[in-house]
Amino acid sequence: MPDTVLLLEHPPTITLGRRTEDGEVHVPDGADVAIVDVDRGGKSTYHAPGQLVCYPILDLTRHGQDVKKYCRDLEEALFRTTAAFGVESTRIEGLTGVWLKSPPRKIASIGIHLKKWVSTHGYALNVDLDPTPFTEWITACGLEDAMFTSLARELGRPVTVDEVRPAAAQALADVFGFAFSETALAAA
Amino acid sequence: MASTTAVDVVMPQMGVSVSEGTITKWLKQVGEHIEADEALLEISTDKVDTEVPSPASGTVSEILVQEGETVDVGTLLARIGGEPGAAAPAAPAAPEPAVEETEPAAEETPAPTPAAAAPAAAAPASGNGKSFVSPVVARIAGEHGVDPSQVPGTGTGGRVTKKDILAFIEGGTTPSAPAQPPAPAPAAAAPAPAAPAAPAVAGTGETLELMSAMRRGIAEHMRRSLDTSAHVTSAIEVDMSKVVQIRGKLKKEYESAYGVNPTFLAFIARATVETLREYPWVNGELRGDSIVTRNYVNLGFAVELTDGKGLIVPVVKNAEGLNLLGMARGISDIAARARNKQLTPDDVAGGTFTITNPGGYGTFHGTPVISQPQAAILGTYAIVKRPVVITDERGTDAIAIRSMMNLTLTYDHRLIDGALAGRFLRDLRERLEGWGESDY
Repeated sequence: MPDTVLLLEHPPTITLGRRTEDGEVHVPDGADVAIVDVDRGGKSTYHAPGQLVCYPILDLTRHGQDVKKYCRDLEEALFRTTAAFGVESTRIEGLTGVWLKSPPRKIASIGIHLKKWVSTHGYALNVDLDPTPFTEWITACGLEDAMFTSLARELGRPVTVDEVRPAAAQALADVFGFAFSETALAAA
Repeated sequence: MASTTAVDVVMPQMGVSVSEGTITKWLKQVGEHIEADEALLEISTDKVDTEVPSPASGTVSEILVQEGETVDVGTLLARIGGEPGAAAPAAPAAPEPAVEETEPAAEETPAPTPAAAAPAAAAPASGNGKSFVSPVVARIAGEHGVDPSQVPGTGTGGRVTKKDILAFIEGGTTPSAPAQPPAPAPAAAAPAPAAPAAPAVAGTGETLELMSAMRRGIAEHMRRSLDTSAHVTSAIEVDMSKVVQIRGKLKKEYESAYGVNPTFLAFIARATVETLREYPWVNGELRGDSIVTRNYVNLGFAVELTDGKGLIVPVVKNAEGLNLLGMARGISDIAARARNKQLTPDDVAGGTFTITNPGGYGTFHGTPVISQPQAAILGTYAIVKRPVVITDERGTDAIAIRSMMNLTLTYDHRLIDGALAGRFLRDLRERLEGWGESDY
């Protein structure tokens, strides 16, 4: 199988990574959201329409064979993607994901699973969705505030996932040295 | 078919810059059979989880590292086959075509005492030619763009230890007096929330325990708050005698009629809300270049969870519309639900001012940390009977026994000046000291 990248959106879903802890998730009664256990790294996160979800399925032996490098490469691709919209994002040492400063607020999350050096899962970039579920539904602490953001919130205008997809693909192509041949999939 | 000699499973090298991994899940337990190449465990590095396949077929005879533990590359994780405890040649459990190991597997064995953690590995000298640089130090130096020759070494012969370079990167200081002044490290300038620096290694007599998600959240928030606000604390002493007296009268009535305890905190909260009306900035927020003020007060209360599990700040919404009874009910409701883990997301959002009450343990002063993005936090302390000098109507001084309490206001000096904080505390004190029988 050649290197493949899926760029898609999910319905409202909370996924629980391998390192999710008890008490991390407290979704209010009646909230319209699915909760799914997944085999990716990291803790819980939230997906919904308006978020660009990117699943690179790559043989990492062809891309440096280094899990940290892979995370940094994905972050780099995200920097370039947000930069295409004039939003400068950065990394924060020790906190994988992509952030805006300051104050620190997260615009994209990363979670990866590897099997025989082949990657699954990937990143989720908040394009235009209400980020409150990140803090209100799944952060145990209750102290966090305004820790998550989206491209639309930063730009002060609506942004569609379709608008961002070409920039995301281009950034991945540049960072990983791909040439994409595009394949549209029927909606799942 | 079990091997006659045990095969070791070690923490694989997941990249040249990766020196450790965390065991997230054992997929097989001791006594279970596993085929070669079948997934034995999952490890986690950064946000990447990786399945580690078994290097051999056989029975899992030993598991030496528990889930949640973080260990260096090359650490023995488990044994397959053989007699438990039997020594055997190590088989690298590297996932798939064996990685070319650029670093020896025994990269850095945790030393029994951290102080003596000078890496003994005879690594090729790199960089400055002045002294040895171990692979670990070289890696850390590379990641942070630091020249190891600039780092004062405390190891044997002035060698730079891992501890030295981490200390250098962290704060430009070293554990012992450096021979040369440390150059400013670029990493130290980044206003990032405290990043986990070194992989923790337990010394003799120490135990390691992973932080919970809540603890990590608290740690991040506290650090970020101190990095954001210019914290200053002012304190004032309040004569609570009237409140003590009125509360004594109300307590029975409130408990029998409403099932609510009119706590001192409820009185203080009620007086605070009244005072905040006149000090909108104390109930405000700095947002970008703007000052946010509000026509409402969402009052947060710092609540300790049972067993020291952590801290949560549930919020009584629209506290400006609550009388004493309503406030007492509101506080008792959120405190109970916080302890029973029944808070809804809405309960912890949108606070505009916070009260923390460590006085229950007898403390008489403190400097709490502001709950971001608020501008201030009120600390309430133990009420104790103390002799104080009072002046009667005729101007005669006398010593009286009064129920005294200290209050602190910790405020963001970017927004709130000391004089404003002083006036706020003065007015709050006057409200509490002058509490009338008909005030609710």
